[in-house]
Amino acid sequence: MLIIVLLKGVPARTTQAVQIGGVLNREAMDLVLNPHDAKAVEAADYLKRRAGGKVVALSMGPDAKLIPLMRPLYDAEVSGVDEVYILSDRKMAGSDTLATSYAVSLGVKKLVERHTAPIDELSAEIKRAGYSDTVKAKAAALYGANLLPNRVYSDLPSFRDSIVHRFVEGRLTTEAALAELAAEKGKASEFVVLSGVKTTDGETGSVGPQVAEGTSELLGRVVPHATYVDDFEFDPQTGTISSERRIGYLSQKLEMKLPALLTVSAEYRPREAPASRLLEVRGSNYRGKVLQATKWTADDLGADPKRLGLAGSPTIVGAGVDVGKPPVQKRVGETLVFLAAAPQFEVGSKKYGPFSRGDLASGLPEDALAKLKGEGAVGTFTVEMMAGELFG
Amino acid sequence: MSGEPKGVWVYLQRSRGDLTKDSLELLAAARGVASKLDQQVVGVIVGSGVEALAQKAIAYGADSVLAVDDPALEDYFNLAYADAIYSLVLERKPYILLFAANEIGKDIAARVAFRIPTGLATDNVQLAVEDYSNPVLGQFKDLLIQIRPDFGTRLARIYTPRHRPQMATVRPGSFSPLEPDPKRRGKVETVGFTWKEYPARVAEVTELPPPVPDLAGADVVISLGMGVLKDASGKARDPAEAYRYAEELKGVIERKYRLKVEIGATRSLVYAELKALEGLIGKANQVGQTGATVKPRVYVAAGISGALQHRVGMQNSAKIVAINTDPEAPIFKIAHYPIVGDLYEELPKLISAIGVGAPA
Repeated sequence: MLIIVLLKGVPARTTQAVQIGGVLNREAMDLVLNPHDAKAVEAADYLKRRAGGKVVALSMGPDAKLIPLMRPLYDAEVSGVDEVYILSDRKMAGSDTLATSYAVSLGVKKLVERHTAPIDELSAEIKRAGYSDTVKAKAAALYGANLLPNRVYSDLPSFRDSIVHRFVEGRLTTEAALAELAAEKGKASEFVVLSGVKTTDGETGSVGPQVAEGTSELLGRVVPHATYVDDFEFDPQTGTISSERRIGYLSQKLEMKLPALLTVSAEYRPREAPASRLLEVRGSNYRGKVLQATKWTADDLGADPKRLGLAGSPTIVGAGVDVGKPPVQKRVGETLVFLAAAPQFEVGSKKYGPFSRGDLASGLPEDALAKLKGEGAVGTFTVEMMAGELFG
Repeated sequence: MSGEPKGVWVYLQRSRGDLTKDSLELLAAARGVASKLDQQVVGVIVGSGVEALAQKAIAYGADSVLAVDDPALEDYFNLAYADAIYSLVLERKPYILLFAANEIGKDIAARVAFRIPTGLATDNVQLAVEDYSNPVLGQFKDLLIQIRPDFGTRLARIYTPRHRPQMATVRPGSFSPLEPDPKRRGKVETVGFTWKEYPARVAEVTELPPPVPDLAGADVVISLGMGVLKDASGKARDPAEAYRYAEELKGVIERKYRLKVEIGATRSLVYAELKALEGLIGKANQVGQTGATVKPRVYVAAGISGALQHRVGMQNSAKIVAINTDPEAPIFKIAHYPIVGDLYEELPKLISAIGVGAPA
């Protein structure tokens, strides 16, 4: 199974966020991994233990900044990611959620192609060369590049029964080998995308569902999604993910066929993976980890430039909003207020009032205040008066 | 349908056979925008047997209702609901489409926005209508101004000048429902739905009990922040003591004024997971951008400095009392009753002042 984890580099401190016209300049600040994404990595680890396959991290942003963030994930406490892919291109700078989701969806599509194409290549070689050493050489090279699961070809002693071994040793007919490879290709296109529920910078939570929609468009099939997943289980027999999530006043169990996308909530705790299927799981695994991150540009993705970056972003971030004038403030023990309602009065040919009980007297001129104080009409604001205004 | 996109559409959510409070707030938000645009508010309801809800939506501010009514749509299912809304948008071209910024609203809105495609401004706390001009893109009349917290540092205006509809999600608690007017009349149009084969299904739905504490439904919210850790002299204090004061204050207000009081907390305090507050303060207490948005009659912020992330969750409260040792704390800019002092001294003063004459 291809397990794709979406990871984002976010500003280490929000106060330090460097903006140009409302767009974050990620090249000019310290980035950390979005804290919500840690749960997606845990979920990926569960899926790999349950079903086997490969955990691939997919991120978008300046590669020089992102690669150091990915490094600890290779040997995370859990088994971590196997490969890292970074979508990095100036043409993607300034993307809003729509343009980001488009680019990430292209990345997902390219990852699927990257893992189905080797099986096509191998099938073509079998058709071309028959029972020849070149088939094995081709398989060994692809396996070495971490692109074939053990079940198709492996140099591990426990997988002497891989499709390629059985074929070159004459234990499989050409037709049978091609049929098995076709089934493997089907499995390689059954991916799961995992992400955090949102990021600490944008806080939109939109990219998950939009990548489900984007991959639906690009692959021509409906990719379902579940957000805020607290718990899920994968059934390898039926290829179904059963997820549980809390949405508003509902708790919902959503069953999804692969491919599917999940955003994983902070409540998620990975389940135990049963040990009974260990050999099958290892058969779906790949050779190992690729420590060198792969960078893909807009051209590598075959992106439509009109759908990327600022050009592909319908939303524009404008000026900030004035928080407005501070409210009229009353300070206990300081502010002078009217102790009772006062009718209109005149001091030094100026008219004042009328006033209600509790009105501010602090702003009045000295002579008016002196008169009011003399009459005991104003006094210092007290805790009791505040309680009365709040709840009375 | 012909001509320019028109209408302020609101996606209305259902729960327990009724419209949700978030939906009534959205109708109020839409009413304000529509009257500035001189356009109609259209409620969109997806479900089964929703005629009565349509009438309620009209009483709360909708001019008309589009009801996608089909037995198969009884339970919320993101793929089918997104298809239903997308088809209507494609056919009838609204100018604006609003959703509540809760799990369900965001679940559908994101997919629909991508498919149209248009922009989606999430978590707005205010909406406005203004003209907009941009040296590159040109002039735009009567745009929806979407106002949301931006990277945790300010409130920003978001525009969607070139795409229709302008789509936004609105933070629950940011608007108050209008007074219902049962005499209001409007057209209710029922639309059919063609179910497709989906690679997903809703296997089970359980209605959850209302949230505890019910911050959004409280008359008074007393919130604690990191100020519980030490007093004005800098001496470390037991946060459980601060919590007891908050509880006592809650008690006297409830007894004396018969108001509904809940205890809230800042994100920092929730995430600090203090041993002393275990089982007392949790995620459910969190007020702010990543927690609840509240608009109570009285909000008491004790030991809270007032970072923007917190303020956006409570700044619309009718009266704000702020207690903080730092006179420069940003919370004081929005407080009606600023109290520069130590919550360990000020909360007890408040308790005894209010407690006078309170039934035991």
